[in-house]
Amino acid sequence: MTIFASTFFDLSVNFQLVVSGLALGAIYSVVALGFVLVEKSTAVLNLAVGEFLMLGSYFGVAFFMERQTNFFIGTFVITMIMALFGLVIHYGIMRPMVGQGFFAIVLATIGIATVIRAVVQIRFGPLEKGNLTALPTGTMEVAGTNIRWVDIIVMLVVAASVGAFLAFYSLTRTGLHMRAVASNIEAAAGVGIDPDRMYAVTWAMAIGIAGLGGVMLGHFTPSINPALAAIGLRAFPAAAIGGFTSVGGSIIGGLIVGVIEMLAGGHLGTKWREPVAFGILFAVLIFKPTGLFGQKDIERI
Amino acid sequence: MTYTIATEAPNPQKPSVKRTTPARRALPFLAALASPVILDNISWNPFSGWKILVGLILLIAVGKFAWSSAERDPDDPRLALKLWHRPDQRALSAMTCFALVALPFILATDFDPPMDFPWNTWFRIINYIILFALGAGAFNLLAGYTGQLSMAHAAFLMIGTIVGAHIGVIWGQSFWLTLPIAAVAGAALGVVFGMPALRLRGLYLMLATIGVHFIVLLAWREYIVHWFGFGGVRFVTPTLPSWLHWIPGINPEDGEFLINTQFRWFWVNLVITTLCLLFLVNVIRSREGRAFAAVRDRDISATLLGINVPRTKLVAFALSSAMVSVSGCLLSFYNRARSEDSFSLEQVLDYGIIIVVGGFMGIQGAIFGSVFFFALPMYFEWMREELPFISDIDFFSRYAGEVDLAIRGILVVVVLVWRPDGLAGLWQSAKSRALRKFQNSQAGAAR
Repeated sequence: MTIFASTFFDLSVNFQLVVSGLALGAIYSVVALGFVLVEKSTAVLNLAVGEFLMLGSYFGVAFFMERQTNFFIGTFVITMIMALFGLVIHYGIMRPMVGQGFFAIVLATIGIATVIRAVVQIRFGPLEKGNLTALPTGTMEVAGTNIRWVDIIVMLVVAASVGAFLAFYSLTRTGLHMRAVASNIEAAAGVGIDPDRMYAVTWAMAIGIAGLGGVMLGHFTPSINPALAAIGLRAFPAAAIGGFTSVGGSIIGGLIVGVIEMLAGGHLGTKWREPVAFGILFAVLIFKPTGLFGQKDIERI
Repeated sequence: MTYTIATEAPNPQKPSVKRTTPARRALPFLAALASPVILDNISWNPFSGWKILVGLILLIAVGKFAWSSAERDPDDPRLALKLWHRPDQRALSAMTCFALVALPFILATDFDPPMDFPWNTWFRIINYIILFALGAGAFNLLAGYTGQLSMAHAAFLMIGTIVGAHIGVIWGQSFWLTLPIAAVAGAALGVVFGMPALRLRGLYLMLATIGVHFIVLLAWREYIVHWFGFGGVRFVTPTLPSWLHWIPGINPEDGEFLINTQFRWFWVNLVITTLCLLFLVNVIRSREGRAFAAVRDRDISATLLGINVPRTKLVAFALSSAMVSVSGCLLSFYNRARSEDSFSLEQVLDYGIIIVVGGFMGIQGAIFGSVFFFALPMYFEWMREELPFISDIDFFSRYAGEVDLAIRGILVVVVLVWRPDGLAGLWQSAKSRALRKFQNSQAGAAR
């Protein structure tokens, strides 16, 4: 077998790949979380999720590079701006489009994505920016391999914010309402929950989370450019493994996809990263469409 | 509780029946097809703009003739199954036929191009409109009419290109041979890649076909780098086969006629696209097409109607991907160069924008959509250069591409929110409103 490099069984190489795969997977899970949240509660396939992530990274450029904002304040402000943006999208576009076909709404999100890409290129120029450096750079040595501090911090921040979100989603009253609307909108409306408001909250949270993921991505990647939006596509394999309807499953799915992709990229060559990720997606959809944690839909004729 | 069956009052007037001979019905179309030969051979030129005047008169005459030769028989159900049987449909199709065939001759010979773009640019745009209409029409058959949201569109463009490159460039065979082979290859692989549709629906199918896209993309890159290197493939210029040299206006040099200008490509693209789209329109009208619609509306109920749902889905995939593969082959030969990075998922989304903006259901939407998609940037470019208010603003010329992109995105969202049935729906409602007004005025005149 010539496609396997001699490093295939090298433990330290594999360890390094797994750690950066986990950091990448953490970002994937943030993307997948925002994607699954919208998909589950509003039945809209948000194809613009990658563009929102890219927008978050560019907001990071505007705040941390151009204005030297404090990391915590900047991240908070970016997340809030993105959440407001989510509200605008819900009230401006998604609400008037209620009742239209699935594909039309998907195309509307693509329209939004096009506008974001154009605006970002007008504001920041076509040239790529260096990565954000508001977090400590440098490496730390663990078990004979160098691990970037950024990888660890990205994982921690993502874990903390996703944990906070999951606590909100499962413990608070608003989270309960969101889950109620997602599971059965008519019954939820019948007991006095305003679905429209819950949709708005869902959009705001999903886009806000994407903004946070964008800031993390900006620290993680070597450079920030409009092509970063392609990472949004990776939300699909992650969400498929998680089963599309499970918010927690999307996080585990993201980590799995990140690690597998890094291992495939490291051992087989970079060009295999996308086919492997989407091959997984394909296989999961064919053999187990409900994923690891999804619930089986029962359909009425 | 009593039920009363409402019966219609007997119609006092005798239903108007009008029968015409097939020759009379075909005549406007034949006249439209023959018109460029006549128009091109008239050397008498009394004043400038003379030919366009004649063209306009002929356009109206052809439309009127086609209108009057339409058949009318309310008691014959077979009539309603015919393609373009109503007077307005016949008139519009004959006028479209005339406009497509004769206008290029009238315009390109005697007139300065509008908006200060050279004719070459205009024909390039028109060629792209035609080619994308073919791809979008095939996409619409699958995504709109059968309801199978497939994102593997670019994969089939790649397959058509691979067939074209291998047979046309490496084996050195004729361009005309590559097209049917591309169709067969596309159909075969469409059946294979349509397999997920037997298990999946909607969102899930869409994501599985994104997987197909990336797998085919890997194969495409390997293929191109292996056979043509990183520079990509350069396609040969096709020639018209010698048994077609009798066509008026063809004057072969050294025994062969190269299809190397935008104007010549226009005819090739127009003929192939028209044949393919007519085929698709006819498929939609057949039993197979009605089965597609039944599968789209509800595949479980379609089984109750006796439709073999897996077979229907695979037939839809095979048909659509055969057409897409042909359009990919044609686009590659027209474009002349293809490299590793020529195909991306964004292209699928472009086709999606075309069909949704144009109108999700039906072939007409694909045509309207691709006109929208290509004519709009031209219009913006013209505005940037010519309109005094806009050309003075530095911002627009500096960020030309980005502003176009942004406006296109906004327009897509606006069309989707404001008019869900797209430009084709807009056109249909405008047409029916005008027809109703016309019929009312006729009725008023009769009274």
